[in-house]
Amino acid sequence: KDFIERSPEDAYTDDVFYKTEQQFRSAVVAAYAPLRDVLVNDYFTSEMHSDNTIYQAIPGNRGTSIVERENISDFINTSTNAYVAATWQHSYTGISRCNIIIERLKGADLNNEVKANLDGQAKFLRALNYFKLVRLYGGVPLFIKEVTTADEAFKARATEAEVYARIIADAQDAIAELAPPAKFPQTGEATKGSATILLAEVYATQKKWADAEKLLNSMLTMGYDLNANYADAFMPANKNSKESVFEIQFLGGTLTGATPNVLSFHFLPRSKDTKLLTGISIDNTSTGGWNTPSNDLISDFEAGDNRLEASVGIAEGTYDASNYFKYSAAKSIINYVPATGKIGVPYIKKYLHAPLESPTGSGDDFPIYRFSDALLLLAEALNEQGKSSDALTPLNRVRRRAGLADFTNTDPAQLRAAIFHERRVELAFENHRWTDLLRSGKALSVINAFGVKIREQLPYLSSDAYVIDQHHLLFPIPQNEVGLNPKIIQNPGYF
Amino acid sequence: RGQQLDKVIAVKLDHAGVKESLLTIQAKSGIRFVLPEKLLAGLKQKITIDSDHSTVKYLIEKVLESTNLDYKLVEGYVVIDTKPVPQAPGKLSGRVVDEKGAPLPGATIRALETGQVVQSDANGDYTFNLKPGNYTLEVTYVSFRSQKSNNVVIKEGKTTSLDFSMQLADNKLTEVVVSYGKQKSREITGSIATVDASSLQDMPVTQFAQQLQGKVAGVQVSQTSGQPGRGMGFIIRGAASFYSSNQPLFVIDGNPITGSINNINPAEIESYSFLKDASATALYGSRAANGVVLITTKHAKPGDAKIEFSSYYGLQKIPTGKLPKMMTAREFATFMKERAEDGLKYEPGYSVSADYHAAYDNPEQYGEGTNWFKLLTRTAPIQSYDLTVRTAREHSSSTVIAGYQEQQGVLINTGTKLYSMRFNQDFTTENNKLKIGFNLAPSYRMDHNNRLNSDGVGGYFERFFEASPLVSPYNADGSYTRNVSSPGMVAYINPLATYELTNDDYKTTRILGNIYLNYEFLPGLSIKGNLAADKGAETRKYFQSGLVTGTQGQTTGTSSAVDNGSWTAEGNLVYNRTFFKDHNIEALVGYSAQEFSTYNNTLTGLGFTSDDIEYLGAATSVTGSSGAGSYSLLSTIGRVNYNYKGKYLLSAALRRDGSSKFGENTQWGSFPSVAAGWIVSDESFMKNVKGVNFLKLRASYGITGNNFFAGNYDPQATIGTYYYNFNNVITQGQTINRLPNKDLRWERNKQFDIGLELGVLDNRLTFTYDYYRKLTDGLIQQRSIPTSSGFNQIIFNVGELKMWGHEFSVSSKNLTGSLKWNTSLALSFDRNLITNLVDPGYIRRNVTVSSDYYRQQVGHHLGEFYGFVFEGLYKDAADLANSPKYLSTTAKPNGNSDIGTIKVKDINGDGVIDDVNDRTFIGDPTPTFTGGIVNNFRYKNFDLNIDMTFSVGGKILNAAKWAYQTNMDGSRLPLAAAADRWRSEENPGSGVYPRTKSGTTAMGRQVNSQWIEDGSYLTAKNITLGYTVPLRNAMIKNLRVFASIQQAFVLTGYSGMNPEINVGGSDPTSGVGVDENAYPIPRTFSLGFTTTFK
Repeated sequence: KDFIERSPEDAYTDDVFYKTEQQFRSAVVAAYAPLRDVLVNDYFTSEMHSDNTIYQAIPGNRGTSIVERENISDFINTSTNAYVAATWQHSYTGISRCNIIIERLKGADLNNEVKANLDGQAKFLRALNYFKLVRLYGGVPLFIKEVTTADEAFKARATEAEVYARIIADAQDAIAELAPPAKFPQTGEATKGSATILLAEVYATQKKWADAEKLLNSMLTMGYDLNANYADAFMPANKNSKESVFEIQFLGGTLTGATPNVLSFHFLPRSKDTKLLTGISIDNTSTGGWNTPSNDLISDFEAGDNRLEASVGIAEGTYDASNYFKYSAAKSIINYVPATGKIGVPYIKKYLHAPLESPTGSGDDFPIYRFSDALLLLAEALNEQGKSSDALTPLNRVRRRAGLADFTNTDPAQLRAAIFHERRVELAFENHRWTDLLRSGKALSVINAFGVKIREQLPYLSSDAYVIDQHHLLFPIPQNEVGLNPKIIQNPGYF
Repeated sequence: RGQQLDKVIAVKLDHAGVKESLLTIQAKSGIRFVLPEKLLAGLKQKITIDSDHSTVKYLIEKVLESTNLDYKLVEGYVVIDTKPVPQAPGKLSGRVVDEKGAPLPGATIRALETGQVVQSDANGDYTFNLKPGNYTLEVTYVSFRSQKSNNVVIKEGKTTSLDFSMQLADNKLTEVVVSYGKQKSREITGSIATVDASSLQDMPVTQFAQQLQGKVAGVQVSQTSGQPGRGMGFIIRGAASFYSSNQPLFVIDGNPITGSINNINPAEIESYSFLKDASATALYGSRAANGVVLITTKHAKPGDAKIEFSSYYGLQKIPTGKLPKMMTAREFATFMKERAEDGLKYEPGYSVSADYHAAYDNPEQYGEGTNWFKLLTRTAPIQSYDLTVRTAREHSSSTVIAGYQEQQGVLINTGTKLYSMRFNQDFTTENNKLKIGFNLAPSYRMDHNNRLNSDGVGGYFERFFEASPLVSPYNADGSYTRNVSSPGMVAYINPLATYELTNDDYKTTRILGNIYLNYEFLPGLSIKGNLAADKGAETRKYFQSGLVTGTQGQTTGTSSAVDNGSWTAEGNLVYNRTFFKDHNIEALVGYSAQEFSTYNNTLTGLGFTSDDIEYLGAATSVTGSSGAGSYSLLSTIGRVNYNYKGKYLLSAALRRDGSSKFGENTQWGSFPSVAAGWIVSDESFMKNVKGVNFLKLRASYGITGNNFFAGNYDPQATIGTYYYNFNNVITQGQTINRLPNKDLRWERNKQFDIGLELGVLDNRLTFTYDYYRKLTDGLIQQRSIPTSSGFNQIIFNVGELKMWGHEFSVSSKNLTGSLKWNTSLALSFDRNLITNLVDPGYIRRNVTVSSDYYRQQVGHHLGEFYGFVFEGLYKDAADLANSPKYLSTTAKPNGNSDIGTIKVKDINGDGVIDDVNDRTFIGDPTPTFTGGIVNNFRYKNFDLNIDMTFSVGGKILNAAKWAYQTNMDGSRLPLAAAADRWRSEENPGSGVYPRTKSGTTAMGRQVNSQWIEDGSYLTAKNITLGYTVPLRNAMIKNLRVFASIQQAFVLTGYSGMNPEINVGGSDPTSGVGVDENAYPIPRTFSLGFTTTFK
């Protein structure tokens, strides 16, 4: 009887949605949204989980939400870590939304051009999410169809090769289906360029250098360029500029649908009032204290590198007994000497543009791929194929903008080290460090060496912090997934 | 002596007169005669006898043969007297009815002089054939007071008419409200318990649920929070679902209500019927799995015109006996000072900041410090006024009840007020064929700060015990501070300021109404119609000053409204007939439709420039949303009740329901039931069993369902909104936000019940016993699925749960003299077992180990607690070396453990303690038995009522204490007892509280068996002493004054504040027996009176 057949009036259900172009477009918009959720966890799993950043210790607050994030930074996280699980979950939320689009587009009655564009965006996003997952967790369950029943949700892990094969196929489709940026500033949607650099990084990871080179070369003609100043790349006024290949979009304020970026004050020392740096009163005692630049990274900047000033600032002040920081001055990192009785705490400055619009966050975007990344990848691909002198061109293009002299040494090993160093400082705090360490094969040696220094520097660190072996190169599969799904086998070394 | 009449004599009479003849016999026989002249004079008979051999007897009889005289032997004299008139028997007939005039079939009418017995027929009529004379008649009927009628005169050949109107025995309703009608209690085949509300109304409480605690076997009513007007949980027969509600269906005057029950003024209620087994609830099939509570409101009875006024005023106070004893300022400063000393002693690189030294180095400077509990709580008044006006004539009745209740919260700046009215009108035509009635009950509730987040984790009540006693809530200028933590603590927002600077007002309007019509259009055949509405509307005005908002300075205002309502339309045909004298049939078929719909909107304002204007006009940014929802239920019902001689009872019912809430493939469910009863005490062989007045056996089986879950469209994949901002443009994205489940089917509850009802010693002692078994299959739950699917849950029929139990109720009149003493006892033993669950065979509370309090797991009981097994503290280096350690690794052999930290059991025996493999089941919240005992004393004009509830054997997980009050990091105020912690091997403290070393305290926050406590308790819920003032007033017929203590005392070994927490609240997913700082239940002292005017 009709009387008991009801559907919500205030929302669509899936059987009436996914019909019109507008509806598919909005489904694609929804597939972008989880990128933000991945991001607010990925700075733990990809940046603090490296030698680039550490955290502000707070021994008086041992709540799970604090301890679990510290553990990721210290490489002692277990499989029950909620933030490890969050990166996993949000990546898959994005994948699922892409699967729905890709699947339902096939039968949709839409213009082919529109279809191709939407399919391309969805495939780029799916590939991007899987690429994040496969590098952090290894072979993961490969969902490429819409899940409609409980049974379909229980899948075994695919091999890394199978996951990569899907990423490559999706990225290739995206490259074919998407157009280069039509104008700058761009719309913020994924473009052919976004898919190209993604696939190039995949090939670089697989050491398919020629394939990578070919793709990266193609980007040189898509209109991308470096901004004049390094800091310009992160200015809210400069969103989606010619340097941007793909970035996560934010908007400050309190309007419905505005999604402010909270990272600017997550990255500051915990304080009852951050006004000195944020321009408005924000109490970040429960949200801040994360992603503090390590001295190791700071000292890795060459003298005269203007990226240091653009990337790192110094909050000067004093800690109270609760380890909250009372700001007394904002200082430059260059030649910084603390004032008497004060402590200087470095903080990430790239994404902080005071004053914030509201205490809920800022309008700063967060870069996923910048053109300088493409240039450095290109340099790497050329060098790895023995074209070391060709490699100098893109590398020095990046260095010159940073105010540094050209690198001229064409010894492949030294050039490899130089490019690796350049990536660290150019892409600092952009969540590339951990995967770069993995790709370079240096993760074990770099992190263990960093551990020796940092444990000495920070005596409160646990004796097993930054002591890593092969198993630490992958995160554990979140325990809840393993517990729920007997088909999932945990990564070795984790309970 | 009689032998003298056998003496043979010779007599010769010839046309002699009677007297002369008798004198002749006297002379011949020598036997003396008494011959009253009055009788003999005037007799014309002439007697002729000629006999040589005749007995005296023969002769006398021959003489008197034709006269109206008789004779008898008295003391050897033959006394002549008039012959008794040969008499035709007389008749006594009449009708036995109850107070309401309804016939009582099967009542026993006994003539005490002769011992003769008859029973009333189906219409309550009886006829007695008795010899003429004077009689005393007694009528008995189970659960009614027996009645005697003296000096009933029966005349020869005449019919004497005598009707009996029976009065109910104490606290026992004979005609019980059952699903879709009423039934004589003796004929009921299901398990139904009734409570007469009049005995409850002295309690100074605003919710009727509070009055019912411990009153009914198998019904657990618990107060899990002391929030004014809120916080009650009802569980019938251990009913449990994981996701659907555990609460029973409430039906008021036949109308299933869809809104909350806490707006119902207890004073409006006349009686309750608790339907427990599947037979009793069958007609509510799809919503009956948790049992049904039928509430009947007051309706005036003919001749019962009166005005009643009642009121009480009380003071509520939080009992402080079980209040957590926290450190004083001096103790806390000492703790912190020592903590730093230990840090410097044991931890290389440990440093202490200047403000820490300043605050704690000299603890002696502090006294008790700020007592946040005292600042935030108060003695609060509670008051109630009810006026009831009843008028009734033979064919119409009207009842109007007006009530006002006000309960201020024991937490400052909280409270609730309820205004309520009820109009009940009934009208019957003169021929009694047509009956029409209206019930209308509007109410208006105002809650002030009453639904603030006071209970639970992060709730304000928790804040009272974690804020620093070293800190004042005020700045020097008298304004509120924001942070109330002292050095080393985590930042806490001032709870006093939070309470004072938050205004959260809900205003709820509710109208319950219905119209019914009964028309008997053929003898025994009636049509019944009922149209009911449950209408609610609620507005909320919320404002919080930026000083205390979570995001500092984010002054927030909200205006929201909810409008909801449901209607129910029902039509039934009822056929009531007696065939061949002894076969009684009642049949019912019906149709019912119900629809619920809701609309809501919310506006939130931000950017207030000041706190002066609390309305959204003062906000610089306002955002909002609105939504709607509905569900519907369509049903057909049928029931047949049959009995033979009111002695053998059979009942069968079927309900078929379609609900919009289920998957499109599985919307319909059928819910059949059968039941049988046998009134053994009516059998002739029982007549010889002395003392047993009533004995009934009954059994039932049936299937019921449950569709009580909040979501209206849960099985449908809906599209949600997700925003993204391309290049600063707000763009709306939409996609599926939940998985569909087209096969989501009814949660089914199959229940078997067998019961016995016994009345002995003139029904002074009555006893009821029930045994039940229930199997719930297709349990509905949001099933966790791997998040790699893109979703984390799907609504699903996840498993199967078995429940069984025994219920006893005893009601006894211990003393019936001038001191009357009645006792009633309700006792239930409820058990459960999870017998099936989808993969992986368990459902955990959540994924965070420190709050993963319990697991639902196959082979275990509901909500069994899950965690580590506490084994004390590591005593010394040897103990540490030889014991498994928490998260030990090669690089950190001691892991997070050290001497003086918490040691737990290595469940999997791998030598390392970890969060996945070393936790196990550590306690069962299900009590062994629960119940209540009510003692009632009456002496002259005094009455005393003592009402107690108890629960034995259930465990409680005291998370409030262990997770929040024993934090050793100095981030929040610890319990005073935690001062006695481990400090060194020489000074190991009580062995309960571990050391404060950094990085070792995590285990203290993981659930371990230390947290499990016995939750047994005995609570004196209410003690009332009343005095009925003797009155000889023309107008005031009755005045009773009383004094009462609600929540008088709680006897328990449990160290937390409220052992009743071990009944889950209305949210079944929040767990059972988990104590996370609930709003305390106040003790209330009150004075009141009730009075009747006629």
